[in-house]
Amino acid sequence: MFEKVLIANRGEIALRVIRACKELGVRTLAVYSEADVDSLHVQLADESICIGAAPSTESYLKIDRIMSAAEIGDVDAIHPGYGFLAENPHFAEVCESCNIKFIGPSSRAMQAMGDKNAARVFARKAGVPVTPGSDGIVETDSDAIKIAKKIGYPIMIKAVAGGGGRGMRTAHNEPSLKSAFHSARHEAEKAFGNEQIYLEKLILNPHHVEFQIVADSHGHVVHLGERDCSIQRRNQKVIEECPSPLMTPGLRKKMGNDAVKLAKSVGYENAGTIEFLVDQERHFYFIEMNTRIQVEHTITEEVYACDLVKEQIRIAAGQPLSPHVAHATPRLHAIECRINAEDPEKDFQPSPGRIAFYYAPGGRGVRIDSHVYTGYSVPPYYDSLIAKIITVGATRINAIDRMRRALDEYYITGIKTTVPFHAAIMRSAEFRDGNYDTGFIERVMSSGKLELSTPATQLRE
Amino acid sequence: MELKDLKEIKAIIDLMKKNDLSVFEIEKEGFRLKLQRGTPDQTTTSAPPGTASLPKIAIIPAETGKPADTSSLKDIVSPMVGTFYRAGSPDGVPLVDVGKTVTEDTVVCIIEAMKVMNEIKAETSGVIAEVVAENGKPVQFGQVLFRVR
Repeated sequence: MFEKVLIANRGEIALRVIRACKELGVRTLAVYSEADVDSLHVQLADESICIGAAPSTESYLKIDRIMSAAEIGDVDAIHPGYGFLAENPHFAEVCESCNIKFIGPSSRAMQAMGDKNAARVFARKAGVPVTPGSDGIVETDSDAIKIAKKIGYPIMIKAVAGGGGRGMRTAHNEPSLKSAFHSARHEAEKAFGNEQIYLEKLILNPHHVEFQIVADSHGHVVHLGERDCSIQRRNQKVIEECPSPLMTPGLRKKMGNDAVKLAKSVGYENAGTIEFLVDQERHFYFIEMNTRIQVEHTITEEVYACDLVKEQIRIAAGQPLSPHVAHATPRLHAIECRINAEDPEKDFQPSPGRIAFYYAPGGRGVRIDSHVYTGYSVPPYYDSLIAKIITVGATRINAIDRMRRALDEYYITGIKTTVPFHAAIMRSAEFRDGNYDTGFIERVMSSGKLELSTPATQLRE
Repeated sequence: MELKDLKEIKAIIDLMKKNDLSVFEIEKEGFRLKLQRGTPDQTTTSAPPGTASLPKIAIIPAETGKPADTSSLKDIVSPMVGTFYRAGSPDGVPLVDVGKTVTEDTVVCIIEAMKVMNEIKAETSGVIAEVVAENGKPVQFGQVLFRVR
């Protein structure tokens, strides 16, 4: 097992990794920006080193400074969390050449699946169904029109270097395709430094269902079931649940086997997620693989009774898959709500600032993964996720009602949060019926039907 | 600046004598105390006869204390994470010392990061008033290296 691990991240995931390390008896080194001096992960780590100014490009993305800190701190391994450098093959390579274990897949596997178009090729080769689309990169708008005609509208234009819901455009007909094609390329160049795009058929009203993969360095690859992440706003997940309401044991077996097949075919190691779209007829199509631990790994942990971050560290340290992970079976139902520092009444405008008072719910079946506390100032430089609330129940409705109860207790003042938004979703009939798809939030917001709940509890501070 | 209780200092001196310790150093917010038995650098100070065996007491304000005129002191801070060296080579002479005049382009120290020696420029002009960082010790981003008047 490692002696010391550097956590190359911040916020709730840095805290998550530190907790796993502490339970494993591994010492922790936190690196942080000047904006995160008082962050909980910095305070709880055994050691900490400031690596730069607030902007991510000046700190959390500075590979040289992180490696310097790793050298000074004499660490054995680096956990990249999610976002930042977690899916940066160059960073993984630098770690490899410095003999510091990168807690995740090899840079080669990361590279293979990081190019979204190449990942589709791997999927096809492995016999995994992919969304009908272009057989590679689309160079010109006339090529795009030709391919779109073959696949059929509506069409999704995606950046090969994109992912996480970014770098995507839709075109519902030929006249709009040309301009969508060019604006997608332009945005891709600006956002990812790579203008290459490919086309996919837009699956209408799909469910976004992803499978958790865990693979050790001894060739064992297993899947830990699925997560339904269809509740999204602007292609960003807001609510996830495990298991998926539309899953059947037969479908889970098929999709799970395909996920494992694909991971094995690229020699994948450590934790990863294979994302699929599932249409109304329960046809599934591979869309992309995330070569990192994900935000919503928590609900899989609750249902499959495991600690995925500890398992990541164990795998990186060379240990074989833990028996309880290798033979995990699902129990109960779990839901996660991502609480952001955003104002749901003002189109989810970011709401950074000082949290005047913070009280998180508790009780049976409630888990909170959060780095914030009373008096903490949410900085404006990073993503707005301040907490993840996870509830577990014997049935899906139990988990939903428990989440409703817990959200009503969640008391945060000083900044605006999306707690009332989530509380309203938990009360929505469509969500409770499990009858939703990726268009749900859009529909329910534009229909004005979602009544933002004010918390049932008003705590006297 | 806080002075440790004279009684406490005497107690430390006794402990040092009893355990045959030659150097005792303690650093806290606002103050630093170094006690040294014997006089290895007798050439730099002229000790009165009969006091050769008395420990020398040097009370040095730590960098977190407020110096006399803060307003005119500028900080040279580390632009990177690494190990701070005062000289360009292991046996070299320190690049700057207290009293040295610097301009923006004056190389004031080396910070080693990942086996690369980086020359750090003053980026300000004036006279070195204080050497804050310790030779051979790690420094983090934003850490004060020197103070310039």
